[in-house]
Amino acid sequence: MINRDNTFNWFMLVLRRDLTLSFRRSATYITPLIFFLIVVTFFPLALGPSQSLLSSLASGIIWISALLSSLLAVEGIFSEDYRDGTLDQYFVSSEPVFVLIFAKVLCHWLVCGAPIILASIISSIFLYLPSGVLFALVTSLLLGTLFMSLLGALGAALSLGKSAILSAIIVLPFSIPTLLMGTAIMSSAINQQDYSGFLSIMGAMLAIGIPGLCLLTVEAILLNYE
Amino acid sequence: MGSPPLFYRWATSSLPWLAGLAFLMFSAGLIWGIGFSPADYKQGDVYRIIYIHVPSAILAESIYILMAVSGFISMVWRAKIAGMLINSAAPLGAGFTLIALVTGSIWGKPTWGTWWVWDARLTSTLILFFLYAAIIGLHSSIENKTKADRAVSILAVLGVVIVPIIKKSVDWWQTLHQPSTFTLTSSPSMAPEMYLPLLVCVLGFYCLFIFMLSNSLRGEIISRERDKTWVKKQFFKQ
Repeated sequence: MINRDNTFNWFMLVLRRDLTLSFRRSATYITPLIFFLIVVTFFPLALGPSQSLLSSLASGIIWISALLSSLLAVEGIFSEDYRDGTLDQYFVSSEPVFVLIFAKVLCHWLVCGAPIILASIISSIFLYLPSGVLFALVTSLLLGTLFMSLLGALGAALSLGKSAILSAIIVLPFSIPTLLMGTAIMSSAINQQDYSGFLSIMGAMLAIGIPGLCLLTVEAILLNYE
Repeated sequence: MGSPPLFYRWATSSLPWLAGLAFLMFSAGLIWGIGFSPADYKQGDVYRIIYIHVPSAILAESIYILMAVSGFISMVWRAKIAGMLINSAAPLGAGFTLIALVTGSIWGKPTWGTWWVWDARLTSTLILFFLYAAIIGLHSSIENKTKADRAVSILAVLGVVIVPIIKKSVDWWQTLHQPSTFTLTSSPSMAPEMYLPLLVCVLGFYCLFIFMLSNSLRGEIISRERDKTWVKKQFFKQ
């Protein structure tokens, strides 16, 4: 029997549902990974295979590819549910909708963020990333892709049913702080300096972003119900 | 002035005065600054582009803040005119940002030797331009214009929260990646003979913006409310 007593149970219900649906179609978690690897491959193809050049650009290339992949992957987060009426059910339930929206975003991050992190570890080999910074890479990408999923969900909600590139134009300027923080973490790690301050700033952005962006996303989805 | 017909009536009666004031202030400031202020000892006469560059940049920022406040009013109080204001002000804001960027480039070539440099202020102005473009693009892509207003209000409010964060992070990114031999030579302490025309130019640009915004908003109101009785009575007097 489904427990409907409190909001947390609803949160877990939506999370479990979205995870089940995402894993049914392998395209959901394979395509972000492949797109990431293709974009990363294009950089040595365009810039030449020189090890010194690539290793100096490696963290920037990995971060930009991660941004673009997580942005494109989050495009269809609401389209299916909007079309078949599940989103309506979220709105007429007595639960705060932004919590349920966060469940969707979290599921998306778990499903698409993990392949991106894996792909970034592979890319660190492709791009001759200096050794010893893998931990910094993974932690910064974990936080960064979550923020990108939140922003991307807002962009997807604003441009529901329209082109993905419009959503990209809307979301990318707002992802600049994340990009700057992430690459700062990487360059500090490469120079063996302490990067915990930058991680705190990213954490703070998430702390404000999770409720704030989910609330704005709810507003944006409501626009389509006029 | 909160309701469309009242604003329309106010705009129609005030537009000639706004136009006159804008023309006066704008031309007075520019002629005084470009024609009559003393030449800079270091840059010579090329610094005179400051009388276009600085007011445009100030206006680019202010228009974004105006759009954000308007977006907030539109979201909280559902005022129709606040939503229409964002749509009217966005192309003007984008235009001023573009003027600031282009005049800054033109100023930079003789003084710094380069058309562009990735310093904090230029980078954040470029990002501001992208934010304006996002608002214009989003509004034009949504058919139902009332819905488009609300979508763009969300974007404007989110933007005004993120813009200080972007500026801070770009500032800090700049100090982190400080290019080796570059110093910004603009905005030192200015002599009053240079500073006063600049002030008049800034006021003139503001007056120009208010005139253009009122004009554009007036047209927007008529276009949006074209099915309402008051519009029909206005144009098809029986």
